Amino acid sequence: MMSNQSQSRPDCAGHGLCCGRGKQTLCEGLWKSNPIAIQMLGICSALAVTSRLENSLVMGLALIFVCVGSNLFVSLLRNITPRKVRMIAEVTIIATFVIVFDQLLKAFYWDMSKQLGPYVGLIITNCIIMGRAEAFALQNPPLLSMVDGLANGLGYAVVLAIIGFFRELLGTGRVLFFERLGLHIDLSGWYTANQLMILAPGAFIALGFLIALYNHARGPESEEIKS
Amino acid sequence: MRSFTDFVSGGCEMKGNLQTIVYAAVLGAICGSLLAGVDQLTGPYKEANAQAERIRNILEVLQVPFSKESGPQELAEVFAANVLEEKFGELPVYVYPASQDKDKVKSVAVAFEGRGLWGPIRGFLALRPDMRTIQDITFYEQEETPGLGGQIASSWFRERFKSRRIIDADGKSGIRIKRAGGLQAENEVDAITGATMTCKKVEVILNETIEKIVRAYPNNDE
Repeated sequence: MMSNQSQSRPDCAGHGLCCGRGKQTLCEGLWKSNPIAIQMLGICSALAVTSRLENSLVMGLALIFVCVGSNLFVSLLRNITPRKVRMIAEVTIIATFVIVFDQLLKAFYWDMSKQLGPYVGLIITNCIIMGRAEAFALQNPPLLSMVDGLANGLGYAVVLAIIGFFRELLGTGRVLFFERLGLHIDLSGWYTANQLMILAPGAFIALGFLIALYNHARGPESEEIKS
Repeated sequence: MRSFTDFVSGGCEMKGNLQTIVYAAVLGAICGSLLAGVDQLTGPYKEANAQAERIRNILEVLQVPFSKESGPQELAEVFAANVLEEKFGELPVYVYPASQDKDKVKSVAVAFEGRGLWGPIRGFLALRPDMRTIQDITFYEQEETPGLGGQIASSWFRERFKSRRIIDADGKSGIRIKRAGGLQAENEVDAITGATMTCKKVEVILNETIEKIVRAYPNNDE
């Protein structure tokens, strides 16, 4: 019975819904091969929209939505997609999800839509999404592909949230999103807000520090694996 | 024999192509109808947001006091209470009358729109009662290059228009968005460095509207 099932699903080796690779896949995207910190993908938007925590969170949410959705559909269609049009098909699917999210934002969160401007639409060209579709969803079953999309989306969102938090805190002395939740952080007593952090160079500095910290935390063995 | 294999391989390719076309058509149709559905569902909300945005911009250029946090409903109320929509000749205008005296006017706003570098540019130009001096300007819709032309919407660029005149010293209508070199005439506005194309387009769009304003209010010329 078991062998029969794995025969009908040749790309599935283990048991369970995610072929026993769910945890590993989740860990890969979140930590081991984090799309921003390790693969250096999706940097453009990570630098552009992180001047405020709230913007970063919405952008992260957008990426999770698109990545999970596109991975699911690319994976569902992987056996009937003709090879020569697969990339066009992937982009079509990705673009559909991006536009859906953009429209929802325009309808229900107008202010945020204005602030994120072109960057929501530019998710279509985000290397993380295309990369996951090509590298993972084309070879793996739908549920596992969704887990992979979630992992990479979360990996991106967490990094964005951290950068956004520190840039807003150091750049303005407060974090508006926390204030909305009733949690006040106010550094104005002893800290002079450094405008540089909410300008473009601040994004590079914050990301640089974060990646350095990340590599330190991961330890030296990662270098060997890469080379 | 050779012709037979040719025939077979040709047939296979044909079948592959047909499959590709059918696949593309079905995928396109599914994605297309999904998008159409979402557009239908969100349509009224987007429309309301865009309308509120227009009203917010009109109130802003006319310098009608309103709370920054007000929602679409409150904005519409402030708009209805303070702003008159009129037509001056061919030109639709938004008039902000002084509260005591309906004949006296505090400012008048005119919509402008045209083609920018990447997409449409839309906004409002508000004039003082002399209809020759700019009170304020807003760009509520633009898709110019972020960081360069996109800065037309920033407050510092809009500030540069304030108190400039829409006619030159000889009474000829039109403003000039000038590159560095100091502003001499009263109808000149300092351009954005690195956004020459956008500034040129804005100048053209504004001058079309200014032309209409001057035609609609000719007698104010000195």
